[in-house]
Amino acid sequence: MLPKARADVLSARIAGLSFVPGGWLGAAREDALSRLGMMGLPARRDEYWRYTDPADLIAAAAPAAATFDAGDEPPVFDGIDRLKLVFVDGVFDAAASDDPALAGVEIDRLSTAALTDIHWARELYGVLEARGQNPVARPLAALNTAFATEGVLIRVTGRAERPISLIYTHASETSDVALHHCIRLEAGAELTVLENGPAAARFNKVMEVDLAEGARFHHIRAQGRDHERRAATHVFARLAEGARFKSFTLTANGVLTRNEVVIELLGNEASAHVAGAAVGDGQFHHDDTVFITHEGRGCESRQVFKKVLKNGAVGVFQGKILVRQTAQKTDGYQISQSLMLDEDSQFLAKPELEIYADDVKCSHGSTSGAIDETALFYLRARGVPEKAAQSLLVLAFLAEAIQEIADEAIAEDIRQRLENWLSRHEG
Amino acid sequence: MTALETELRADVRDGVDRETIDTVQAMSGSYKHGWETEIEMDYAPKGLSEDIVRLISGKNNEPEWLLDWRLAAYRRWLKMTEPRWAMVHYPDIDYQDQYYYAKPRSMAVKPKSLDEVDPKLLATYEKLGIPLKEQMLLAGVEGAAEPRKVAVDAVFDSVSLGTTFKAELAKAGVIFCSISEAVREHPDLVQKYLGSVVPPTDNFFATLNSAVFSDGSFVYIPPGVRCPMELSTYFRINAENTGQFERTLIVADRASYVSYLEGCTAPKRDTHQLHAAVVEIVILDDAEVKYSTVQNWYPGDEEGRGGIYNFVTKRADCRGDRAKVMWTQVETGSAITWKYPSCILRGDDSQGEFYSIAIANNAQQADTGTKMVHLGKRTKSRIVSKGISAGRAQNTYRGLVSMHPKATDSRNYTQCDSLLIGDRCGAHTVPYIEVRNASSRVEHEATTSKVDDDQLFYCRSRGMDEEAAVALVVNGFVKDVLQTLPMEFAMEAQSLVAISLEGSVG
Amino acid sequence: MLEINNLHVKLEAEDKPILKGLSLTVGAGSVHAIMGPNGSGKSTLSYVLAGRDGYAVTDGSAMLDGADLLEMEPEDRASAGLFLAFQYPVEIPGVGNMTFLRTAVNAQRKARGQDEMSAGEFLKVVREKARALKIDAEMLKRPVNVGFSGGEKKRNEILQMAMLEPKMCILDETDSGLDVDAMKLVSDGVNALRDAGRAFLVITHYQRLLDHIRPDVVHIMADGRIVKTGGPDLALEVERNGYADILAEAV
Repeated sequence: MLPKARADVLSARIAGLSFVPGGWLGAAREDALSRLGMMGLPARRDEYWRYTDPADLIAAAAPAAATFDAGDEPPVFDGIDRLKLVFVDGVFDAAASDDPALAGVEIDRLSTAALTDIHWARELYGVLEARGQNPVARPLAALNTAFATEGVLIRVTGRAERPISLIYTHASETSDVALHHCIRLEAGAELTVLENGPAAARFNKVMEVDLAEGARFHHIRAQGRDHERRAATHVFARLAEGARFKSFTLTANGVLTRNEVVIELLGNEASAHVAGAAVGDGQFHHDDTVFITHEGRGCESRQVFKKVLKNGAVGVFQGKILVRQTAQKTDGYQISQSLMLDEDSQFLAKPELEIYADDVKCSHGSTSGAIDETALFYLRARGVPEKAAQSLLVLAFLAEAIQEIADEAIAEDIRQRLENWLSRHEG
Repeated sequence: MTALETELRADVRDGVDRETIDTVQAMSGSYKHGWETEIEMDYAPKGLSEDIVRLISGKNNEPEWLLDWRLAAYRRWLKMTEPRWAMVHYPDIDYQDQYYYAKPRSMAVKPKSLDEVDPKLLATYEKLGIPLKEQMLLAGVEGAAEPRKVAVDAVFDSVSLGTTFKAELAKAGVIFCSISEAVREHPDLVQKYLGSVVPPTDNFFATLNSAVFSDGSFVYIPPGVRCPMELSTYFRINAENTGQFERTLIVADRASYVSYLEGCTAPKRDTHQLHAAVVEIVILDDAEVKYSTVQNWYPGDEEGRGGIYNFVTKRADCRGDRAKVMWTQVETGSAITWKYPSCILRGDDSQGEFYSIAIANNAQQADTGTKMVHLGKRTKSRIVSKGISAGRAQNTYRGLVSMHPKATDSRNYTQCDSLLIGDRCGAHTVPYIEVRNASSRVEHEATTSKVDDDQLFYCRSRGMDEEAAVALVVNGFVKDVLQTLPMEFAMEAQSLVAISLEGSVG
Repeated sequence: MLEINNLHVKLEAEDKPILKGLSLTVGAGSVHAIMGPNGSGKSTLSYVLAGRDGYAVTDGSAMLDGADLLEMEPEDRASAGLFLAFQYPVEIPGVGNMTFLRTAVNAQRKARGQDEMSAGEFLKVVREKARALKIDAEMLKRPVNVGFSGGEKKRNEILQMAMLEPKMCILDETDSGLDVDAMKLVSDGVNALRDAGRAFLVITHYQRLLDHIRPDVVHIMADGRIVKTGGPDLALEVERNGYADILAEAV
């Protein structure tokens, strides 16, 4: 039973949401709702919310957020050949989207799939989210499973020839959106998913990714530049033998962003890389919470998170490598670093290792500090102007994260975004 | 002796000597301090109540203010819940099924000097190798070290038996006595500093300690004094079903220096025993304190029966500018270790260091680490933690590094390495890093790995058996920390490392 | 002294044979060299003889003075007089070189029922032998092989050999990573240990080491077997013509 205070917060939060029963999706939603009823919404005293105040994420109504105009900066991934699916405040925009036809790939919308009696996604929707509730509860993800209004369901049997690009735009100042995507890659399949744009004033997203033997999944996202949004995103992934998962997230601005990634390496010789670069100026709170569980033998995981902070921005990293007794020959690596460009910012980190197998190599590192004055001086002594030198050093600091993007054109696009951001936020 | 020989001799002493391994093997795989002393004891009635708190206070002839302080702590404790966030699992402790006070009957009338103490008690310490006579203590090895003096306060269950070298220390102005004596003889100092670092409201176990602590050591080093010898307290739990709740208070006044050693052992018993100590250290401007612990409580047997539950609060407050504290701990004993010796770096330019070796074998569980709280400007801290897990043990490093907004230009470096021996144990690292200013630099590194097969094979191909090879490699792994210990302790700690890992290979 | 008969070895983890019926006899007082191209199984042979995990012997035998080496633990092989100078000597952080040597020497003496060497005697002997190999006090103080250059590591291996006084010495690519001066130093160290009671098996890819350590017998190894055996001239032939001719001839 939830204590009364927590039960009240939960009731207030879900009071305005409409629960859609019926069909396979209704059953999954009911399960999620009962999970949520057991755990309640996150509270500041929960161990994994000690550094991030969930108040705005659990409030009954979404705090208003002004819409945003990026000016003449072209949208991210503009030059990349991709299949576009557009959501405006969480509503699918068919006119702005491409025809969802791609060889070896089935693409459905959650809202239409819900009307069918049988759909492959019933084996996945809410399943990985439910697995990911242990040992640490992720109530916002259960909330999403119970109330998500839309999402895409992607099943890949071959090698997708183009990336699928999910584009979010934010048109209403009070939009409060939950999207839930399911992605299943069959044995040996390959897919790249791109995500970008501000989705809503308050955005709750779950992406469940199920990778069969030898499947390869690549995920690159750029969270929008609109500053006032609040977002809680979750990626739950499960990897079978030899599967590869690679993800990179760029977060620029945003008053509150919580990105949770929960990965289970179940098969042997699987590999998961999760990377993030976050840049924040002023009222910016950015939280990466990453849990990687090794169960299979000989798996590899890598977490690389870099944060550049100024003017009171707050960067949070909570990362865990959990190695179960079966996971011999694990290679686990984790690095979290912050670069603070002025006195006011904060970096709060909890990099954890929990290891029950002996034949492993696991390490983590975490550093925080100001820009290296010696390097800065060296560059200036060679004639590089101070601002340029600083940008150069900041980009060098972020490079290890950006290296996790396999596609060089996309990596270059991301690098360009960061340079633009730095030049806008000079001084 | 040539310079070369001196260097080589020094090196022979490093790492594991053959002698160490032989000693270890001669001990036939068991805890060497597991015997008990048969001695008549006076107990307070079992259980905890205000009456027991009054009784303990009365036995020590305490002033009113201290009784009130204890009672306030007790009342507070009743409203607190036992912390369960550590990665240790144990059945609920029945706080009413313990004795909170046990005193050898022969100590009913306090002996005037150690010469009057019951020979049986003195023999106990002799058997443990603790010198309770005012003799020169010779470093164990090949005549290398000069003879040195170490003053000892011997705490047996709930009471201090006596303290050596008091007269000589008094000449230097150093006060070293049991805390019960300090309450009577130096009430102003005790009242000023007691609870000023670990307040009676601090945490469940510290609050319990505040209510029922029976004895412990008190140290005061006056301004400008370098303590002429090392001070040491030796804790022995002997009585059954008895908790030990000692309280240590060390005050290093301006520009003083002291090195303090703490050792602990207990008999083998099938039941768990509770040890909830508090150590408070106050360090004023330019003073320095080195605090070394070799914790060798009985760890329980292979199945986890018996052993000490060790819930300890240790904290040093670098209250003055340029104050310096160094904690070194070698944790080999206890069934459960819950212990985070911490540094409050309040003074500008103050420094805290924490060096730890934590070994958990068989069914032991350790959750230990440190807190470095940087409040002053240009404060520095360094953490080196070496955890070793074997058998079915769980070993967790838990630490906090906190840089407050005003602690500008501060530094922390943390290295925590874990070594796993066997595939049924666990090694965990839970660091909290909180940086609230940009001019401070924090670096944290951690690794976890098994004992390196190539290193073991290399040793064995040169003729060492597997156990010797593991002991050698493990001693190499912990060497950075061993080097921070005073010589006598380093030797003891080194052999303990090997003993603690017995039966972990093969 | 060393008798290897029809030795078949595969990797434990995979079904990949490496040694395929290797036979070799090395008599007391003699120096044998094994040469062969990369991947012929030379290093596997040295590891199997020293008892490293990860290899499975599927057939054949290896005896040292009549005792079955393959049945023994690595430390027992060492105490029985087998010594392997590693191609890649292992670094052991935190363990002083002197401590390591003394622990090894005394472990072996104890296994053989001899008294341990006193610290004084040990120091005296180490100093003498270290001096000959130009190993200074600083190097003896440092942790085992940590931060040593390639040449220092190999000299350290020879110092261990000199201290442990084995009967059967196997040198695995001891010349790799050595410059001319270091090669001379190492070879002198080895030559000083040559005597009637001791045998050497020198594994090398190149002939140049054999200019310094003159072998009595040279074997050419390929694909897990000895394919040709001859005198010192065989090494020179390899130097001149490479392995191709000999291998072609052997098939």
